[in-house]
Amino acid sequence: MLIFTLRRFSLFFFTLLLLTMLSFSLSFLFPGEQLINLTGQISASPEQLAILADEYQQQSGLLGQYVSYLKHLFQGDMGYSMTSHLPISTEVLNRLPATVELASVALLVAMFVGIPVGFCAAIYHRKAADNLILTIAMIGYSIPVFWLGILAILVFSIQLGWFPSSGQISLLFEIKHITGLQLIDILLSDSPYKWQAFQDATRHLILPVIVVALAPATIFMRLARSAMLEVLDTHYIKAAKAKGLTFSQIIYRHAMRNAIIKVIRDIGLQFANLITIAMVTEVIFSWPGIGSWLIESIYQRDYTAIQGGLIVLSSFIFIVHIIIDLVYAALNPLAREPRHGT
Amino acid sequence: MNLIDIRNLSIKLQTSTKPIFAVDRVNLTMKEGEVRGLVGESGSGKSLLAQAIVGVLDEKWAVDADRFHWRGNDLMRLSAEERKAIISKDVAMIFQEPMACLDPTTTIGEQLEEAVDVEQLTGYFWQKRQQRKLAAINLLHKVGIKQHEVCVKSFPHQLTDALCQRVMIAMALARRPMLLIADEPTAAMESTNQGQIFRLLASLNQLKNMSILLISHDLENVTHWTNTITVMYSGQFVEAGTTEQIFNQPYHPYTRALVDSSPKANRMIPNKSRLMTLPGSIPTLQHLPIGCRLGPRCPRAQQKCVHAPKIKNFHSHQVSCHFPLKDNYS
Repeated sequence: MLIFTLRRFSLFFFTLLLLTMLSFSLSFLFPGEQLINLTGQISASPEQLAILADEYQQQSGLLGQYVSYLKHLFQGDMGYSMTSHLPISTEVLNRLPATVELASVALLVAMFVGIPVGFCAAIYHRKAADNLILTIAMIGYSIPVFWLGILAILVFSIQLGWFPSSGQISLLFEIKHITGLQLIDILLSDSPYKWQAFQDATRHLILPVIVVALAPATIFMRLARSAMLEVLDTHYIKAAKAKGLTFSQIIYRHAMRNAIIKVIRDIGLQFANLITIAMVTEVIFSWPGIGSWLIESIYQRDYTAIQGGLIVLSSFIFIVHIIIDLVYAALNPLAREPRHGT
Repeated sequence: MNLIDIRNLSIKLQTSTKPIFAVDRVNLTMKEGEVRGLVGESGSGKSLLAQAIVGVLDEKWAVDADRFHWRGNDLMRLSAEERKAIISKDVAMIFQEPMACLDPTTTIGEQLEEAVDVEQLTGYFWQKRQQRKLAAINLLHKVGIKQHEVCVKSFPHQLTDALCQRVMIAMALARRPMLLIADEPTAAMESTNQGQIFRLLASLNQLKNMSILLISHDLENVTHWTNTITVMYSGQFVEAGTTEQIFNQPYHPYTRALVDSSPKANRMIPNKSRLMTLPGSIPTLQHLPIGCRLGPRCPRAQQKCVHAPKIKNFHSHQVSCHFPLKDNYS
């Protein structure tokens, strides 16, 4: 298990190295001065620029420049936003928790809805329930997210008035920024209106979460269905039947664990997809997350912000990927051991 | 009383055009304490027959029989649940590829414990857990695994094939079955391990009077361990009798060929001579011949063979052939 963990972390390290290289080369590829792209100081005087050039070792070779860029990155200095003139790191720290909250709640919802429904479909294979679930999964997967988001706002917040249409929480509530995750901050705060605030934040969360979770949930349904069908066809299920176990015992004790292992492997892959959907959804619901900020920066040609956002978002996806890999290894005894030729 | 008595059991594969009889009117009887070999080439429907007895066939197969008695009970008259209850109580089955038959993500101990029969446990529910553990360890001892502590904690992929098969046998023993169906238990195993598994099965038969239905494609090997043998070809019944009858005086041309095809070390075979085989290969399910399915390959086939032969009985030596080799032996 230790070796497995170390392997994952070495993979993490090298992937991040490649990512920083990409982001560094972006500063050359974007139009304009490379140093200004890197630091975001558009209105700096020639003297300041000279100091910056010295800091980023512009006189040395490409490798030296890259190393000094890495140094700045590790100190948490990603330059300044070209539009707001705030440090990128502050912007990211303000924005990222909202995205983490939206994406992780959506991932959990997608998993807890999609996987059991997929298992049901496999258990009722070739019956009406299976066909119904497959049809729903197909429709859910084909709906474009921006259209679904706008439609959800139109129906549920404008016509029915059940949920608010935008934002993270009503402006009436004043919540101190501690962890950045809204729901946890509310629980930590000592405001007398804590529970009202919590309810309000949950109501704000429901619509975007459903919009983000729909497509991944349908993918999980199909993954879980095919994994379960595959497991139900194996020899050990047949042997368990011959052992005299009832159908529910077989499903709960043997089939589910083996099928979940197969599904969990693919959840990591789907997470990148989910983040993309979350970025679009953030724009629609004016969710103050890093996705909407990044899309805004692209519109405003804020090159420094694009570079910083790229690194932060992709390392977030990668960290989630590693966590899911570790969960997979914890569940699957076969993955824990080093692979040899058999 | 016969332990199991099956008459004219057929297994149909439902296809869009017409049903295919993968197993066509096979008879099988076993007495208590008997070790019967079920022999045939791969694809002759032996495993299907065994799985039909245990009732673990998929929905695409339809099983039908004139008579299916288990210790005098007519199982065909019972509902599916009642049949499953009787069968899973008294019949256990072990499969080929033991490693694939154990859940890869659950430890051996857990899998053994869930096989333990609830009715054998006494006491209150907080004592049962401990008793289950003890019962599991006892089962491992019964099949000759002494290091139970290591074994209980390991996962199937950490054990060898032979150990996995022992664990499978231990699980089969958990319900104290009357009949153990062993479906090629030693396929893909080394010969020393094969011997161990067969000796274990033989000792279980002698000590516990457990009947064993031993399925194999290796007639020569099976003769060492069985009292009686049933031979099948392409889903049809060929011949049944005691091991001596089958091995020394086969009446059916197919059994004759099967006995002759196993090379013997003490027989002088000239260099580069052809070994005795039947021409052709076993027909596929889509192209089954009518009548006796051996027909196209049989050296004694005549026009009559396009009709399926009736079973002839010579002193409890049953053979299904129009032209048995009875007169060859005198």
